[in-house]
Amino acid sequence: MSDLKEIFVNTQHCTGCLSCKLACAVQHSKNKDLFSALSQDPKPKSRLYVEWLWGNTKVPVLCRHCEDAPCVNACISGAITRAENNAVITNTDKCIGCWTCVMVCPYGVIGRDKDLKIAYRCDRCPDQDHPACVDACPTEALTYATVDKFSAEKRQAASREVAQGQGG
Amino acid sequence: MSLRNQFEEKTKDPAVQKMLGIASEQEIETVWDRYENMLPQCGFGETGLCCRHCLQGPCRINPFEEGQETGICGATADVMVARGLDRAIAAGTAAHSGHAKHLAHTLLKMATGEAKDYKITDAVKLNKVANRLGIAVDNREEKEIALDVARAALADFNEKETPVLWAAGVVTPGRVKVLSDLGLVPKGIDHEVSEIMHRTLYGVDADPVNLLLGGLRCGVADLAGCYMGTDLADILFGTPTPLASEANLGTLKPDHVNIALHGHNPVLSEIIVKVAQDMKDEAAKAGAAGINIVGICCTGNELMERHGIPSCTHSVSQEMALLTGAVDAMIVDYQCIMPSIASVAECMGSKIITTMDICKISGADHIAVKEETAAENAKQAISSAISIFQTRKNRNCRIPDITNKVIAGFSTESIIAALSKLDAQDPLKPLVDNIKAGNIRGVCLFAGCNNVKIPQDTNYIQMAERLLKENVLVLATGCGAGSLMRHDFLDPSKTKERCGEGLFAVLNAIGEANGLGGPLPPVLHLGSCVDNSRAVEITVALANYLGVDIDQLPVVASAPEATSEKAISIGCYAVAAGLPTHVGVMIPVTGSALVTSVLTEKVKELTGGYFIVDPDPQSAADKLISAIDERRKGLGL
Amino acid sequence: MGRKYVIVGGSAAGMAAAHTIRKKDRNGNITVLSNEKAQPYFRPMIPYIINGKKRPDDIFLSGSGIFTQGGISVKTGFGAKSIDFQKKTVTTASGEAFLYDKILFSSGSTPYLPENIEGLDSEGVFSLKTLSDAQGMAKRSETATHVVMLGGGILNLKAAFALLEKKLSVTMVVYSPEVLSQLMDPKDAFPIRNALDNAGLNIITGISATQVLTDSSGVCGVALDNGSQIACQMVCVGKGVVPDTGFLNGNDIKIDKGIFSDPYTQTSIKDAYTAGDVAVAIDPVTGEKTVTSLWTHAVEMGICAGLNMTGSKTVYTGTLGIMNATQVADVPLVSMGIVHTKNSEYETHAKKTRLTYRKIVFSKDGTRLIGALFIGDIKNAGIYRYVIREKKNINGIKSHLINHTVHYGHFMQP
Ligand SMILES: Cc1cc2nc3c(=O)[nH]c(=O)nc-3n(C[C@H](O)[C@H](O)[C@H](O)COP(=O)(O)OP(=O)(O)OC[C@H]3O[C@@H](n4cnc5c(N)ncnc54)[C@H](O)[C@@H]3O)c2cc1C
Ligand code: SF4
Repeated sequence: MSDLKEIFVNTQHCTGCLSCKLACAVQHSKNKDLFSALSQDPKPKSRLYVEWLWGNTKVPVLCRHCEDAPCVNACISGAITRAENNAVITNTDKCIGCWTCVMVCPYGVIGRDKDLKIAYRCDRCPDQDHPACVDACPTEALTYATVDKFSAEKRQAASREVAQGQGG
Repeated sequence: MSLRNQFEEKTKDPAVQKMLGIASEQEIETVWDRYENMLPQCGFGETGLCCRHCLQGPCRINPFEEGQETGICGATADVMVARGLDRAIAAGTAAHSGHAKHLAHTLLKMATGEAKDYKITDAVKLNKVANRLGIAVDNREEKEIALDVARAALADFNEKETPVLWAAGVVTPGRVKVLSDLGLVPKGIDHEVSEIMHRTLYGVDADPVNLLLGGLRCGVADLAGCYMGTDLADILFGTPTPLASEANLGTLKPDHVNIALHGHNPVLSEIIVKVAQDMKDEAAKAGAAGINIVGICCTGNELMERHGIPSCTHSVSQEMALLTGAVDAMIVDYQCIMPSIASVAECMGSKIITTMDICKISGADHIAVKEETAAENAKQAISSAISIFQTRKNRNCRIPDITNKVIAGFSTESIIAALSKLDAQDPLKPLVDNIKAGNIRGVCLFAGCNNVKIPQDTNYIQMAERLLKENVLVLATGCGAGSLMRHDFLDPSKTKERCGEGLFAVLNAIGEANGLGGPLPPVLHLGSCVDNSRAVEITVALANYLGVDIDQLPVVASAPEATSEKAISIGCYAVAAGLPTHVGVMIPVTGSALVTSVLTEKVKELTGGYFIVDPDPQSAADKLISAIDERRKGLGL
Repeated sequence: MGRKYVIVGGSAAGMAAAHTIRKKDRNGNITVLSNEKAQPYFRPMIPYIINGKKRPDDIFLSGSGIFTQGGISVKTGFGAKSIDFQKKTVTTASGEAFLYDKILFSSGSTPYLPENIEGLDSEGVFSLKTLSDAQGMAKRSETATHVVMLGGGILNLKAAFALLEKKLSVTMVVYSPEVLSQLMDPKDAFPIRNALDNAGLNIITGISATQVLTDSSGVCGVALDNGSQIACQMVCVGKGVVPDTGFLNGNDIKIDKGIFSDPYTQTSIKDAYTAGDVAVAIDPVTGEKTVTSLWTHAVEMGICAGLNMTGSKTVYTGTLGIMNATQVADVPLVSMGIVHTKNSEYETHAKKTRLTYRKIVFSKDGTRLIGALFIGDIKNAGIYRYVIREKKNINGIKSHLINHTVHYGHFMQP
């Protein structure tokens, strides 16, 4: 477990520039560059969100790839599996767009692709050393590290997970 | 990866590569380091989708997000992008015309006797300009004419009854009609800039096409600024004629007091060159072999085209001049002066001297230069350089032993003079005949800057190599010329190997007829960035000669490594003038499909010109060549 | 010798339990008895068998999601017939006997077939429950041109769309005033109803069928209680499901609608557990017993039962009685918790647009979120479910819930 990396969030560093969102959409586009992604139809989607809290805290939110992931249990088509890099991923060929995962994800990070009628979410960029959002973040609000390393360095409240609801 | 290779990814100039090695060894931060630290750059900025035009903002439109198609005020992506572009055009226009206005004031003060250090150097040019403006010249004192010209120039900045004369009076009659039909004739240069600021304000113009037309009109005002800048500088300091010079960092001399003049306007640099002649003794007393003046950026071009003063480097590599340790003072006026030079200078024990009220840099010395006291101010600056030399003189400088031979100084006047050696009666005829015969396939103007995003000079080198081989006559200005001169494109001994046969034959014939004993250089240096007006003047002359409009000529333009907003405004007037205009850097408009398509396609139906945005030099060259061929075909060639 | 686990019913609950047991107990013998012929599959996917978008191969459980373990013996075609709790033996319909140390009843549910409709046993009458039902429907729909759906529940809607896609004309006869009455008040269903109408589904409400009419080729029509008849070649009954407890008849095991389960998924008899559609669970919102038909619940209760059977005592915290997500006629829909508010005193808030509807329901005193219905726009449904299910304190976020501006950040520890 400990050598598997996760994306950690430090809300205090987030300036709300949304660079992560752009980079994510671009990484999930056909040619993986901003300018051709702009003309792709349907447009590629970004899989993370930057929310805002009163007092001007900006909160990047993305799939936590929960250890006991409710979405994996919930999926009625077998589309959601755990990949080798420990990411919980949605197989786009199998997904039928029943939205059960959207209903059970306590983080609200599974998106609904209205064009393709399937769900999309963070896949931690399996083809890359670092997820695109982490590379794009200019302030290190997003970092990619092993759990141990991150805990040792600084454990931020923001990255602690919402206590998970077990069961239906 | 070898160290050498690592620098090749940053610059193609071997002198600069050498200096980068020194910078990294001494841990001195350069523009390339700062660029790397800046990565990744914000995609909203890259696409033009961020707006800070009001205090409700900042807004940015995420092009990949549904339901977030406008800014808070309701501005669409198209509006945001068009407004942003307009402001860039206005900034570029303000800069070129600010430069021209500075010259106009100098001319005025010269004429009224307030600025004694200046004089009329080219009376022929004065008369030519006065004639064009409808100012009487016969039986009048030069200074009287100059006064009227200066007043006419200053009047062109305001909104007034007549259109901007430096725009409406300098293009073909056909172009005047096209521009006035489209409402693109500027009413006053400053007026256009300020109108852009007005219409791009919170809650004003929200029609992207209307905004773009406004931007184009401001671009035409930029042409006026540039043209005026060239005219007035030629009157005051002389119209360039071809002369030999040198370029690159090897032009710095360890045993001399080295003064680098950086920026744009000849108003100050001309005086420094003059005063330096008189201060040789002082330099000698300080132990120097002499005073060595070199130029950087467009100041370099202005001095080179008129006096053959060498250019030591350009644009993105300006810090390198300081890194040699040999520059005692870098005297700057305005535009393209990276603030970072102050800290590099501090590291190297040299001095930056700022001279203009609107351009001070913390960490630099400031000498407030006035036209009235120019020589005195120049003296002070040079003395300062000499005293730095005294502290520096025994220290090792690290000057790369690289210089490139240059022939510069091709004004419209000097080109026509050269051509008249072939046909005194009809000097344009040989040029036109060669175009018709295909020896000259077309003409391409390279302008603009270097850009840290592109390995320095790559695009210039690759595109010029390609176009010359295809017999395209290449003209260059500004740091584009700077780039090409540092790679021997302005060296006549390279003309044969660089150019296609037809082009070589033409350049050789002109050279021989002018007693040069060989060809003209492969690329003709037209001067600084305001001197893009010279390219317009030549093009207009050709069009008038043929009785066609500019948009029919096989003439194209390219800013392959553009950086400054000035490059955007120049691009706009090139497009308004009817030229296919290449830009090799992504301009922040791709966030709007509409704006992008207007600039790259639809505008063609209006002005005949259009933008070609292509970062790949080879395919850009292909596109320019096919644009040239399309126009040749249109002319039945 | 490893422990012997026997699981009756190899679907969501049974297979989730089997795979969980295998993870926890590497030596145990796990035998799953299934009276279906096919190997375990994702049951909710069978509508895609009707319209041919999926083949059976595409929907088998093995290897997907949590169903990745090996070493599980699945005996298809083996229906449990009787249980001897003393001897700890299961006997199948074909006479085999299996000894067990721990047994799980996960036999699911079967379609409810109303007695007051005659002829439901005719050829061409279906009730979509199994893969073979789906295959039968696919076959019949090759020749049929018109089908009548009895019941407007979600299963029947899915079946109806599968048939519409096969270009059959489809009439849905609904006794309730509106479709999907289990998942929402009739007046809330407008965006769905519009979409269904636009999609070409012919819906008649407030009517019920009395008889299925037949001729030599099976079904030829349906008679309705208003005296009219509809000609058709196929009928599909979707009137809900009931727990499948038949094989336990005569045993002394507590059954109240479904099989009783203690908080640890154990039945009233030691070493016998239950999970899924067949089991009774607690609804954490109402605190009441509930039997449901939800895949997610079946999987999670199955996992919980698996843990308990291997000795890891784990509480099953129950399921919302209503917790459905789906997409019908391109309209996404989520219904969770208490959503029927007509004539109730709950505090409800609704946000309507032309194509979307979002209603959220608070307790009478307004201090707890107890239900949510999202149609057309299901954004952040999971966050609402989390708040409902975990009975979260909504101080400070209530307005965000009402305005649909709630997000994960609101739950961060400061
Ligand atoms: C068409 C359709 C679509 C659905 N869509 C959804 C949906 O979108 N979302 C959702 O949450 N739920 C959906 N459901 C409901 C979901 O499939 C069930 O809730 C879930 O399958 C219940 O799982 P289970 O393991 O408890 O029982 P079941 O899946 O009912 O499985 C029980 C198994 O046990 C077998 N069995 C019964 N008795 C015996 C016996 N005596 N011996 C051996 N085997 C026996 C049965 O044949 C069956 O194979 C849908 C159901 C259907 C039919
Ligand atoms: S002008 Fe409009 S788009 Fe720009 S910052 Fe203000 S509200 Fe936002």
